[in-house]
Amino acid sequence: MAIHTILIIEDDRFIGEMYVRSLRRAGYEVDWMVDGNDGLAAARGKHYDVILLDIMLPERRGSEILQNLRGGAEDLIPNTKVIILTNFDQDEQSRVAMEHNADAYLIKAEITPKKLIAIIQKLDTN
Amino acid sequence: MAVEKKTETPALVGKFWPAYRDRALLLVGGTQLFIYAIAILAMFTFHVSINPLEWLAIIAVGIASIIVICVVVLGVLRPLGDLSRALVHISGEPTGLTAPNLNDDYYAKSHLRPLLQLIYELAASQPESTEQHAKANASKPAKQTLDVPSLLNNTSTGIIMLNSDHEVIYTNQSAPVHTDQHGTTKIDLLFDASDSIDTWLAERGDHDIRAEHVWRRIADKLPGEEGRRLFDIYVSYQKGSEAETILTLFDQTEQYGPEDEDLDFIAFAAHELRGPITVIRGYLDTLNDELQQALSGDQKELFSRLIVSANRLSGYINNILNASRYDRRHLKVHLNELPVSDIYESISDDMLLRAQSQQRVLNVNIPTNLPTVAADSDSIGEVISNLIDNAIKYSNPGGTIEVSAILAGDFVEVSVRDHGIGMPSNVLANLFHKFYRSHRSREAVAGSGIGLYITKAIVESHGGTISVHSVEGEGSTFTFTLPVYASVAAKLKAAGGDNDMLIERSSSGWIKNHGAFRG
Repeated sequence: MAIHTILIIEDDRFIGEMYVRSLRRAGYEVDWMVDGNDGLAAARGKHYDVILLDIMLPERRGSEILQNLRGGAEDLIPNTKVIILTNFDQDEQSRVAMEHNADAYLIKAEITPKKLIAIIQKLDTN
Repeated sequence: MAVEKKTETPALVGKFWPAYRDRALLLVGGTQLFIYAIAILAMFTFHVSINPLEWLAIIAVGIASIIVICVVVLGVLRPLGDLSRALVHISGEPTGLTAPNLNDDYYAKSHLRPLLQLIYELAASQPESTEQHAKANASKPAKQTLDVPSLLNNTSTGIIMLNSDHEVIYTNQSAPVHTDQHGTTKIDLLFDASDSIDTWLAERGDHDIRAEHVWRRIADKLPGEEGRRLFDIYVSYQKGSEAETILTLFDQTEQYGPEDEDLDFIAFAAHELRGPITVIRGYLDTLNDELQQALSGDQKELFSRLIVSANRLSGYINNILNASRYDRRHLKVHLNELPVSDIYESISDDMLLRAQSQQRVLNVNIPTNLPTVAADSDSIGEVISNLIDNAIKYSNPGGTIEVSAILAGDFVEVSVRDHGIGMPSNVLANLFHKFYRSHRSREAVAGSGIGLYITKAIVESHGGTISVHSVEGEGSTFTFTLPVYASVAAKLKAAGGDNDMLIERSSSGWIKNHGAFRG
């Protein structure tokens, strides 16, 4: 499957715009939501190839969004790759739970746009 | 000596029987002798003529009758002797006599057995009575019994007693315990996994009759939780005792607490720095791409210095964050199966830029066909970049830095070598301590002295080791090892359950990570 469409759920304006700009330059079609409710609605309303998901979000946390999309009996986004992208140091149990439902778990401070694009390309070839 | 002892220790139970027996014999024998004396006196008075042979017979009969009467008296008094012997025995007084044996036929025939049995039973129902009795006899009159358990609730020192099955059988009010849903009392102490009371007790069972151990700075709750206390703990173990293990916990929260808050603050501050550094690095990365055509050669160099500095700042923030995690025993590594060459690949651009901008030549030789290792890519990336940073700091412009990896048994050995100033052997021992910097570095080189400290901590949390070889004036080689994945795979899978993609392992001696931060 080829990755074309990406949904970014990120409340930090600087970081959100940074990803949008560099991913669009790399040729992806990008939507960006700044709060958890809008993010979940977008993810359920339209198919995306990749979702970049922050954890600490207004209205609804990233962990709740992931639980809603993948925690039930049916995986609502079976053809989507989910990348958790956060600076939040969550406890081990929650981290393991999220990793279970995600395709990658990254620390934002370690990931420059160039590295993020490399990771998306790697997911694309898998 | 026996006489002296008697005067020293009055009112011994054991003294009764010999004294009573001797007086009884004296009384009976004396009475008999007295009667004979009266009879002989009467014979003289009334001039009864007796020949010498008859005298001999009278005296012989007299002596014989005294002996007989004494033996009879001893026989009659024997039960009294046995009872007092039993009492001496249960009193705990030193005695050379054996305790009356209940199985003796004599006790059955004489119906003395129930009496002896009663004495033994009374003694057994009050296990402490024997010693207390002996002590009370030796010193003061018996004192009033203390309600020790409730008195122990008045101390801030926690006391916990365990039986031989390591179950809690007593706790006072200051002890950090809770009761679980099954009604079992559980101890709330966050020991290091490698140095817990459980592992200590497990060893004792096989080796020791009695033992003591001290733990320092053990918390009952995770940092940030309400009412957290920190203890120094003294544990004594006495095999076979009813309370086999006794923990005495000294509350040292006032001493250790503020140090912990400092660490919390450092972690929090370092974490706050992550937000802006994410943006700075991200935008520099974005602009670097977009401005490639626009920048002149000189400007490109300035721009790359910006990137290098932002990356180094990010590395320092990670070092501080990780060191504070490590000091609070929070550091966790997320082990994956990875080739070392992949780990290096993730930092290679950054390292190359770093070396180039500081006029060092980076020579990397990490074969891609080495066996995979069990490693946390980000953490080992930090380890290698700390070592390369170090090599840059302690070498001269134009110098070569060699990064290499080889297979050595069950480990992959990674080395970072410089040809810089090197170190004398006396500084090597302290090199991995926090805030330690080598002899000349204080004046010549900037740095926090935290890099090697956290580097060692990360390597060891992977089950590896780190060492340094250095010659003053010639340079230093830092070498660390990582376990080959195949050698630890079974263990990791057992610890990580079904999560094969990202296997978790609680690194030796560390407790679970804890969500103390918001970001």
